[in-house]
Amino acid sequence: MSTGQEMVGDRMKKIGDFFESLVVIVIIVALAHTFLDDFSILVGWTVAARRWLIWAGLVIDVIFTIEFFTRLYFALMRGQVTEYFFSERGWIDFIASVPLLLFNSLPSVLALLAGAGLLTGLGSFLNVLKVIKAVRIARILRLLRVVKLFRRIRYARSLLAQKHIAIITTISVTVLVAWMLVANLLGGLGILAGLERPFLGAQREHARYLGQGSADPAAVAARARTLAAFDPTLLVARPTGAATSWTRYDDSYYVTNFLAGDYEYFSMNGVESFFDGRPVSQATAKEGIVFFVAILLSVLAYILLYSPRFALDITDPIHVMKRGMEESGYNLEVKIPQRRAEEDVFELARLYNSIFLPLKDRGSTQQEQATRLGIDEIRSFVDKE
Amino acid sequence: MKKMDVRNDPISRFISRMFETPALRTLPALQKEEQALQFLRQNGPQLQPILASVGINTVAGWQGTFERLAQQIKSLSDGMLEREIFRAVEERLHFAFYPALDASRQPPSASREEIVALCRRSANHPVSRRALSGSLSAVLADVTDKYIPQIWERRKYTYVEITKVQRLSLNAQECADLLRFVLLVRPAAYLHVMPDVQTGLEAGFAPVQQQALQRAFHAVAAQLAATPPALVRMALRSSLPYPSTQGLEAIPRLATIFALRGRALTPSLVVDRGADSPDKSWFNIARRNASWRGLDPRMLDELYSIASENGW
Repeated sequence: MSTGQEMVGDRMKKIGDFFESLVVIVIIVALAHTFLDDFSILVGWTVAARRWLIWAGLVIDVIFTIEFFTRLYFALMRGQVTEYFFSERGWIDFIASVPLLLFNSLPSVLALLAGAGLLTGLGSFLNVLKVIKAVRIARILRLLRVVKLFRRIRYARSLLAQKHIAIITTISVTVLVAWMLVANLLGGLGILAGLERPFLGAQREHARYLGQGSADPAAVAARARTLAAFDPTLLVARPTGAATSWTRYDDSYYVTNFLAGDYEYFSMNGVESFFDGRPVSQATAKEGIVFFVAILLSVLAYILLYSPRFALDITDPIHVMKRGMEESGYNLEVKIPQRRAEEDVFELARLYNSIFLPLKDRGSTQQEQATRLGIDEIRSFVDKE
Repeated sequence: MKKMDVRNDPISRFISRMFETPALRTLPALQKEEQALQFLRQNGPQLQPILASVGINTVAGWQGTFERLAQQIKSLSDGMLEREIFRAVEERLHFAFYPALDASRQPPSASREEIVALCRRSANHPVSRRALSGSLSAVLADVTDKYIPQIWERRKYTYVEITKVQRLSLNAQECADLLRFVLLVRPAAYLHVMPDVQTGLEAGFAPVQQQALQRAFHAVAAQLAATPPALVRMALRSSLPYPSTQGLEAIPRLATIFALRGRALTPSLVVDRGADSPDKSWFNIARRNASWRGLDPRMLDELYSIASENGW
């Protein structure tokens, strides 16, 4: 009969299951968001739609951060912080939440809130956004959360399979993302620059040209007009800290067509200049999508191709042997593929088939058969009455 | 016996529900009974409060409660067993082998009733009752119909042993029917075996002493008056071990294997991914234990191949 404690335990389990299901949904949404974030830049979605994506990114990272701290809190209560962080892969929960919130989604939202103000005095904040661009690649670390989905996959029910595939996926994704971060940083230092290097180099040269000579607003405007004739990416020029001397469009156009991350900002010799950075963003977004899809495909390959293989080779034979050793009435042999009979697990299975089961069969004939009926089954129907 | 009202009697209601649990629901009557009794023996003290909660009086102590429960289990399984015996004899057994064994003979009309009576008698003896569980399972699960046509198609060792060595001119259907007959008579070989005799093998499946078999033969032959004594003798010889019994015929050897297979049949067994099929697994284990169990290893080899090829 159910006791009060059992009922509370059942309720807690249901709440835990609901929480886990919610996290799985958020993981899937987060993956879709990571893709759409780059895709929206690449295909030129409207600013309004991209604003929604920035807010959604913040919500996702906040949820993951809350999840991380909740798990950390319960681990702390149990006195198992180290176990949570390392054995239960709490470090993945951490790096796929807190740093992304602090260095990606939160600054992006702050920049969004600043809006057109960027053009009227907060230009230096755009330098922060350059850092954000460098760490955007780290969003792919959210993919590591996919390992949490393994337990729901048909072939990975065993803890061994889940753990093994999680380790492989974690190593692969972490190494790739770490390398991309390093590559981005090296790109920033000009060592491993990509397609954007000549583009940004030209804008830097043009910014330098704008800073040459007098910082008088009229002179800056004159140089900007000259430059704008052959550089369509020049948007705004002004003496540092002063009002705009020259602009290609009016402010309302910028509000409706640009987000903070779409500008390239330079400040040289007392002249600030803003260039259209969207072509660079599009190139980076394209790289991001290619990289994201490559990692996603490799993770899916682990799940869909490697996981069943691992189950067939390792965990299925072990499961059959375990049941045979635990249950008196379960005497099925392990299926041994002929070509692979010499592999360790199948060697063990051969001994199980040829020695253990015949001995078990002899033993079972000398004693009463163990019952298949469990006391819980009796409790269950008695409770229903 | 006075019929109890299942709805009002807590013991009847409890046992009926127990028989309907997923673990027991699909089992044949005698396996249900064994499992239920074993469960009660293993979980007695834990069960007392549960039994009390459904209105079963446990004041007299566990032993008294157990006896009342065991009585109800037997009563319920007897009812089911009666239906199983009827199904096995009326629906499965056709006596198709009679004309083939002796062209002039037709199956006597009394044979069917006599075999039903013999099965009932076997069911009332503790050792024969166990033997009957394997035989009935094998007959009702159509084990013979599954394997005999394959044996006939292959025309290998078992076929040669039956048709050339034992010299039985039977087709596959007739042979399968003969085996069903042998399986149903076989438990009677244990009618004179004491339940507490330690043989190292399971009661109802251990080889019978020649003396006990002789006594059983006279009793069974008298009961199956309409059946030729040679047929009865052959059926009872399926309780003898191979190869230590001189001239043990192929049919009794095969019947013993099928009876043991029937005993181990688990209707609701879920075959896990990575596991071999139930029949293939069983025959492979049985052929490794063939000499210990007194079974014909070459027959087991052939049955193993058949199971393997057919994915059984």
